[in-house]
Amino acid sequence: MNGSSVVVGVGESTYYRAGRSPESEFALTCTAIKHAAEDAGIPLSEIDGFVTYAGDRNDSLRLQTALGTGEISFTAMSWPGGGNISAMPIQIADAAITAGYAKYVVCFRGLAQGQFGRFGRPALRQYASGDAAFKVPYGEASPAMNNAMPWTRFMHEFGVTAEATCSISMASYAHAQRNPRAIRYGQPLTRDDYYNSRWIVYPYRLFDCTQENDGAAALIMTSPERAADLKQKPVYVKSAAIGASVRAGLQTTYNEPYFPYNRRKHVADQLWGNAGVSPQDVDVAQFYENFTGSTVMCISDMGFAPPDGIEEFLGNGNIMWPNGKLPMNSSGANLAEAYIHGFENQLEAVRQVRGQSTCQVDNVELSLAVGGPGAPVGSAALYSNER
Amino acid sequence: MARYMPDGWTLPEVNDLNRPFFTTGKLMLQHCVACDTVQHPPEDICRSCQSDNLDYVESKGTGEVYSYVLPHHPPNELLNTRIPYNIVLVQLDDHPHVRLVGNLVDTEPDDVKIGIRVNATWEEIADPNGGPAILLPQWVQAK
Repeated sequence: MNGSSVVVGVGESTYYRAGRSPESEFALTCTAIKHAAEDAGIPLSEIDGFVTYAGDRNDSLRLQTALGTGEISFTAMSWPGGGNISAMPIQIADAAITAGYAKYVVCFRGLAQGQFGRFGRPALRQYASGDAAFKVPYGEASPAMNNAMPWTRFMHEFGVTAEATCSISMASYAHAQRNPRAIRYGQPLTRDDYYNSRWIVYPYRLFDCTQENDGAAALIMTSPERAADLKQKPVYVKSAAIGASVRAGLQTTYNEPYFPYNRRKHVADQLWGNAGVSPQDVDVAQFYENFTGSTVMCISDMGFAPPDGIEEFLGNGNIMWPNGKLPMNSSGANLAEAYIHGFENQLEAVRQVRGQSTCQVDNVELSLAVGGPGAPVGSAALYSNER
Repeated sequence: MARYMPDGWTLPEVNDLNRPFFTTGKLMLQHCVACDTVQHPPEDICRSCQSDNLDYVESKGTGEVYSYVLPHHPPNELLNTRIPYNIVLVQLDDHPHVRLVGNLVDTEPDDVKIGIRVNATWEEIADPNGGPAILLPQWVQAK
C-alpha cells in the first residue's frame, strides 16, 4: 500500500476467440508469464511467488517446474469468484512483498474456454443446491441473467436508460480500434449496431455482454528498491482493496437490504481512504464489464457519480479517449480487447502509468482498475507514477 | 399445473432447511423463535440474533414484481424451445424485506412490468428419482 510494491512487468499471450487457441491453457499462461518477465528484464528464475484467482487451473508447481522459476516462497489463490476479484491478486501480492515474504511475485490468469468450456453455457444439472435451488429451477441459469436482475430495478428506480450501457460499449469498442491485441480490432461498433443487436437477456443486448476468449495475462510485482534497477518505469501500487458489503451472502438471491446497488461501497471506501485520494483525482480508469449494467452500477458505487447522475456522467463523450474527462476501458477491455476474466484491465492500467497504452492519456498520475461488479465480492487497484 | 420450464429442467435439491418451501404447497418462510425475524433464504442460524431456534411461518403469498429479466438466448439446449421466457423477483406484502425469484407463469414476457400485483401458485413436479414431489412456488397476476 502507498507504493510499498511496484509492478515491473506485464505480459500476455495472443488473445483468441473462445475455442480458437491452437495452444493449451497452460501454454498460454506460460507465454504470458514469459512475456511479463521479458518486459521486466528479469530472468524467470527470479520469480518466487505466484498469485491467481477464480480457481485458475494452472497450478503453481506445474508453472514453476515448466518455467524454471526459483524456489517458491509464496503462493495464494484468492477468495472464490470470477472477474469481480480480478484486482485481488494485486492486493495479495502487495501484502506479500510489503511483508517481505517474496521478492518477485507473478500475478496471472489464464483461460482457454475452448478447452474447458464457457461460463455462459453451464451444464444442465438435475438438481440445484444451496442458494441456486431458489433460482435455477426458474431458468435463472446464466451469469447474464443474474447480472440483469439488479440492472432492471436500478433503471426503474433512477430513471436510467440503455444510453448508459450504450456509452460503455461504444467506449470499449472505439478504444479497441487502436489496439492490435484486441479481438475486436478492425470491427468498429456504431450506435445503430448496438441498438439493433439481438436481446440476450432483456435488458441486455448482445453488445452489453462480454465476449468469452482464450488467452492469458500476467504481471510481476516487486519492491521499489528492486524495481529501481529494472527495465521499465516503476508503477506503484497506491492502494488495493477487496471486500464485500454487510450481508453480502444475500446478494445471490437479491435479498440484500441495499439491492440493487451499493455492492461495491465498501471496496470504494477502503480504496480511496487508504490512498488518501478521491475519484476526481483519477486520470484514467478500467472497469470490468462482464455485463454493462453491472459496470454502470459499479462506477456509481465507486463514487464517480450518484445513481441518478450516472447516465450523464458516462454520456457526452465523457469516457472516450482522448477528449473525455475520464477515458475508460482504454484497451477495449472485456467487451472488445479480450475477456481474460478482467486481468487484461490490470495490465492496461499499468500501461497507462508507463505511457504505453494505444489510447494513452497525458501525464497519468493515478490509474484505476476495478474488478467486479455483479457478484458479492469486489476488488480494485489504484496505480501511481510515484510512491 | 404444467411446469413453466421444460420437462427435465433443473429441480431444487431438497434439504432440511428448504423442505417446507419446496414440498408443502404453502409459502413457508423461515422464522426465528427467539427474535421473531423472518429470513430468506433459510439458514442454519438466525442472521439477526444467531439463535438456532428456528421454525417456519406461512406467508399470505401476495406481492408485486420488484424486478425481472427476459431470457432470449438459451444458455442450455433444453431451453431452445422455451425462449423467450420471464423470470421475476417478487417482493412479498407481509414480509417486504423478502424477495423471491420465480416465473410469472400466466404472462407473456413483453407484458411483464415492475409493480404488477401477483399471487403465489404451485407447480407439482414429480422427482425423477422417486423422491417426494416438488411443489414449486410460482406466480400469477392478481385478478
